Amino acid sequence: MSEAYAVEVDNVSKSFGGYKALNGVTLRVRRGEIYGLLGPNGAGKTTLIRHLVGLLKADGGTVTVLGQSMPNVAVLGKVGYMTQQAALYPALSVEENVQFFAAINGADEGVKDALERVRLYDRRKSVVATLSGGMRQRCSLACALVHHPQLLLLDEPTVGIDPQLRVQFWEDFRHMAEGGTTIIVSSHVMDEADRCQRLGLIQYGRLLEEGSPAEIRAKGGSQNLEEAFLSLAGRGES
Amino acid sequence: MSGHRVRAITRRLLQGFRRDRRTLALLFVAPLIILGLLGYLMRGSSTAPSVGIANEDSGPLGAVVAESLRHSSLISATDISAADGDAKLKDGSLAAYIVFPSDFSQQAQAGNVSPEVHLEGSQPGRSTPVVQALQLALSSVAAQAAGRSIQFAPRITYLYGGKNFDTLDYFGAAFIGLVVFFLVFVITIVAFLNERSQGTLERLMASPLRRGEIVLGYMLGFTVLALVQSAEVLAFALAILKVHNQGSVLVIFAMEALMALVAVNLGIFLSMFARSEFQAVQFIPLVVVPQVLLSGIIFPVSSEPKALQILSDVLPLTYAVNGMRDIMVKGADLTWSSLDLDVAVVAAFGIALIVAGTTTLRRTLA
Repeated sequence: MSEAYAVEVDNVSKSFGGYKALNGVTLRVRRGEIYGLLGPNGAGKTTLIRHLVGLLKADGGTVTVLGQSMPNVAVLGKVGYMTQQAALYPALSVEENVQFFAAINGADEGVKDALERVRLYDRRKSVVATLSGGMRQRCSLACALVHHPQLLLLDEPTVGIDPQLRVQFWEDFRHMAEGGTTIIVSSHVMDEADRCQRLGLIQYGRLLEEGSPAEIRAKGGSQNLEEAFLSLAGRGES
Repeated sequence: MSGHRVRAITRRLLQGFRRDRRTLALLFVAPLIILGLLGYLMRGSSTAPSVGIANEDSGPLGAVVAESLRHSSLISATDISAADGDAKLKDGSLAAYIVFPSDFSQQAQAGNVSPEVHLEGSQPGRSTPVVQALQLALSSVAAQAAGRSIQFAPRITYLYGGKNFDTLDYFGAAFIGLVVFFLVFVITIVAFLNERSQGTLERLMASPLRRGEIVLGYMLGFTVLALVQSAEVLAFALAILKVHNQGSVLVIFAMEALMALVAVNLGIFLSMFARSEFQAVQFIPLVVVPQVLLSGIIFPVSSEPKALQILSDVLPLTYAVNGMRDIMVKGADLTWSSLDLDVAVVAAFGIALIVAGTTTLRRTLA
């Protein structure tokens, strides 16, 4: 166990039926780092994140989160998880949703702060079913960070939100990382990848490449991250 | 109107069903099961109530009428002694017993017979044939006795219920429980399924919540709703419908709470086996209809064919319904061992379902 790492994934494999969703993935994420998981749809990003919160159990290999071998319920109180779809209770108000997730994580006092961080405090009385997609994403993020997790897992957090809000989200992520929160964010949007400190490229359940955006550009032989990514992905395919 | 577009909708619909084996099974297998069950119940049930006959007549007439009753198709008669009668009504082995008093033959001479008819009384449908059979037996005997007109004035007593006890009183007790059971079950299964389909269950599983906490929290929430509903249903049944009630309202309420508990946990447990609300709704005919048919609400369990009785004996609703009837019709309280048994069985089902629900609620998705 190493205190320097928030997440250690060692040679993890997972199959569903005959389909290999993860195939010997190994990666390390340092504390306070923003790590981007990049890859096309169906590459295994969500499957990997689900291993990190113990929703899936690896067929082979080990997953260690904040020094604890997963699955482990006790460590989950220090982890925030924002699922791909905004998983909220549509009949409850914004505030009631955040209060609920605060309560199950034992952080009842953090509600106001979380609502302010996602700029929803003024809309706290609105019922979630009446909100726009972007506001739901913000509410969902508030639910994920209300208990000040040490590790924040964001599964495509900016899908369906406008560029303005996306910039705000990333500012928030950077602030949290500076405060010591480790953030793992999955995406297939390349301009987001540039904001991560390190990237892992996933395809066909394998970790193809790892490195800073600059290193990925160099390896892919292109100044454009998207082109670099496609070139690396093409190599993985052959 | 475009035939092509209409056909597209029709085809899409049938294509979807082709992959949904469960819905197909429901459409084509469930009706056979339900109708078969109903047919077996109605054809196979022994409908003639058991009637005990105590002949204390010092003259000859009692024996003649008793003999005639033995051949009656309306009842199935056995000889008993009058002293055992009440006990046999209480333990349910007899629906009624008839006593021919020692001066029965003399009464007939005087032209006015009054045999004692002791009815169990909790099932109105089983009382009528007893009096009918007795009347028929007496008139045939009277006809043989050279057309002398004999007045028939049976002295009827009821162990439970009474003259005004009607079908609603009999069914009401069972339905008060059933309504709560059914609605709570449906609400729970759909709510729990929502939790799954809107993705919040995944979030709960990725939190420090333990499975038992989720099941218990759900149970308490729905039990609160169910208790309010029970109170409302009960008040309506007693105050507006004036359903016959001999028992304590508190005991009835406690029994309903217990049924709600079973319904909530059955809903949580079964929601694990449904992928969509559509599939959840399919549990209603599969889970609720057979229970309604077999739990004794409509057809008394004791009159069912033996094979079905075994099935009835393993359904929680059988005990719940029996308990509710014992309380409301017979005025049972917790000092009755039969009610204690019902309560214990329903509670045991509740606990078993809590354990089952907690176990099937896997923390991992696969």
